[in-house]
Amino acid sequence: MKRLYLLLGLLLLVLLLLPLVLDKYALGIFVMIFFYAYLGQSWNVLTGFTGHISLGHALYVGIGAYVSTFLAQKFGLSPWLGMLAGGVLATLVALSLGFLGFRFGLRGVYFVILTISCAEIARLVVSHIDAVGSFSGIFLDFKPGLANFQFRGNLPYYYISLGFMVLGSLAVHLLARSRTGRLMVAIREDEQAALALGVNTFKYSMTTIGISAFMTSLAGTFYANYVYYLSPNSMFGMGLSIDLILRPIIGGLGTVLGPIIGSFVLTPLSEVSRAYFAKGGLEGMHLVLYGVLAILVVLFMRQGILVYIKRALKPLLKLED
Amino acid sequence: MGQKKSEGKEVSRRAFLKTCGAAGLGAMAISFGVPTLLKAQPKPIKIGSIQPATGPLAVIGQGQRRGNQMAVDFINAKGGIKSLGGAKLELVLGDSETKSEVGRSEADRLIKEGAVVLVGAFESGTGMAVATLAEQRGLPFLVDVATLDDITQKGYKYTFRIFPTSTAFAQRGTDFIKEIMAAKKLSPKRAVVTYVGDAFGKTQGGFFIKHFKAANTGIEIVEEISYPLGIPDLSGEVAKIKAAKPDLLFPICRPGDSMILTRELYKQRVELLGIISPGSPGWYEPSVVRDLDKLALYVMDNVPWINPASPVYQEANKLFEQKYKAYLDTNTGWAYTGVLVIADALERAASIDPDKIVAAFKATNFKDHPMVGDAVQFAPNGDNKNATTAMVQVLPEADPLKRVKVVLPQKFAQAKLVFPAPQLWDRG
Repeated sequence: MKRLYLLLGLLLLVLLLLPLVLDKYALGIFVMIFFYAYLGQSWNVLTGFTGHISLGHALYVGIGAYVSTFLAQKFGLSPWLGMLAGGVLATLVALSLGFLGFRFGLRGVYFVILTISCAEIARLVVSHIDAVGSFSGIFLDFKPGLANFQFRGNLPYYYISLGFMVLGSLAVHLLARSRTGRLMVAIREDEQAALALGVNTFKYSMTTIGISAFMTSLAGTFYANYVYYLSPNSMFGMGLSIDLILRPIIGGLGTVLGPIIGSFVLTPLSEVSRAYFAKGGLEGMHLVLYGVLAILVVLFMRQGILVYIKRALKPLLKLED
Repeated sequence: MGQKKSEGKEVSRRAFLKTCGAAGLGAMAISFGVPTLLKAQPKPIKIGSIQPATGPLAVIGQGQRRGNQMAVDFINAKGGIKSLGGAKLELVLGDSETKSEVGRSEADRLIKEGAVVLVGAFESGTGMAVATLAEQRGLPFLVDVATLDDITQKGYKYTFRIFPTSTAFAQRGTDFIKEIMAAKKLSPKRAVVTYVGDAFGKTQGGFFIKHFKAANTGIEIVEEISYPLGIPDLSGEVAKIKAAKPDLLFPICRPGDSMILTRELYKQRVELLGIISPGSPGWYEPSVVRDLDKLALYVMDNVPWINPASPVYQEANKLFEQKYKAYLDTNTGWAYTGVLVIADALERAASIDPDKIVAAFKATNFKDHPMVGDAVQFAPNGDNKNATTAMVQVLPEADPLKRVKVVLPQKFAQAKLVFPAPQLWDRG
């Protein structure tokens, strides 16, 4: 294990130094890699560890993005603080959603439907609130500055998103090793058995969904101040909900490194193939490629790519199991 | 594809020898002084085009790319940018997938690939994301199509727009309606506005209603009906329209629902003086005109249409028809115009320095474009001062491809407008 940490430390060092040799566009790709890795990690906390499948995580991204942006535009509050406000609101929403789901024992597809419908309700509600631009969304003002979470170049975004990814993963790692983390896994493996052994599954499920929503919403603020445009469809829509779960699924569900590896595979793949096929005049081909890869991984690497990487590196890293 | 692959990075010995041989021959040819022109040819100037080539707006996005590309070909055929030694234009393609963040990332890629100007983005969200990026990178961005006012209201120095804003649409639409009623000496009292409930419909509808109510036309909007995009049936909505007993219907649609709406109006026999769209797709597309046939007749639509009398339009449209079997319409027409305006600015800037291009944009006075409206001139906020719309009407003509005609303003009119329209069921 020591060697694994050493390797990860080395990789982190490389990532920290990478901007020295990258141009703005390449930095942008890495920003998206880190962004989606972090989002995947946040979702992974809930679904990967406790097994409660959420297909509506865009809800929390949207809350984070809209709350911090609204507060910044109306009251001039720094998005760094607005981000926390968004996090608190997202947590409250997640807890009430979780209460409905866990208290009444919704499992499997029923819980999935609950998460989807809450995100859809939020999308429709936000679409009709004029204060946040209703259907047409919010266009952010561009005021570069650290306090405003806005920058001219991609470099600050690079380090911020890298920080998100590393700290998020570290938090999940610590959580996974804690007692709570082990109980979360117990819930995933067999909720009834865990219950029978006296585990308060309701409490731990609620804790997890709260953490997951809080983490997810922070990414929303980042997105808002990186892309400068929010719309109900892009922030609360089904598309984002699915986009953000693909990385952990491809990388390895319920593992700390899975979302990161998934993002390092999928994000550059979509960027590079889009650029490549655009030149050949084959619009949309990159989406086909993306879909085929996702299908192949799900068919042939059910536990995600991480397992294979681990196996390959086993002798080198002296990993147990 | 196969060809593309052979251009990959791997170099085998054989390929290496071949290349060396070819280069040697080439060098010999040059040293003998034959193609000295090759040496003099300046580097092409890259224009980055960001359009929604995939995703829900794919069909339109690909049309936009064609519009951009056709204009690039046109400029190149005329000898490129003369003030830069006849440099050719080259369109580098970006695909926003109809997603703002993808549009942003694509714009960054195009800049990396050497684009000196960006053009796009059809959808306002992407337009905004790219406008902000252009500001961050200090590179000019020309919005060819996108209506939301906000894009040019952020005080950005590098963003210019040739297309009318939502406000301009609402004003022109209202003015045209007043003009038609005055000309025909009619004073209708009641109108219904319908709009599709997506970002475009809601904004376009909202702006129009606000403006129309403030404009004191004597016509009251008695009902506002909104319905979701992709609705399969509008019988309930049309029943509501009928109950409101309007004289006029002002619909804002997408191509699908415009057909459902018209058929349902026919079925329920809703009596109207006419259907006038304040500015939306769904009425002028060849497929709609052909499929609705007689039911599509006499509908009017307020759009920034092509100028039928313009020689630039006639030339471009001929090529467009030959190449893509479609006519230049409001969207592709502006995509075409966008690149022409960029070429004009480059010509006057005689430089690819971003700030010089921006200065040239500011001094733009571009008359030779294929659309209605006077010369393209930019206001301080970057909007085209002379961006305007025309009222088009679908009129009886044997060939469905020739039915959409400009009827207002008089200056551009191809035909006399017909109003009030015969009822939908009275058309033989």
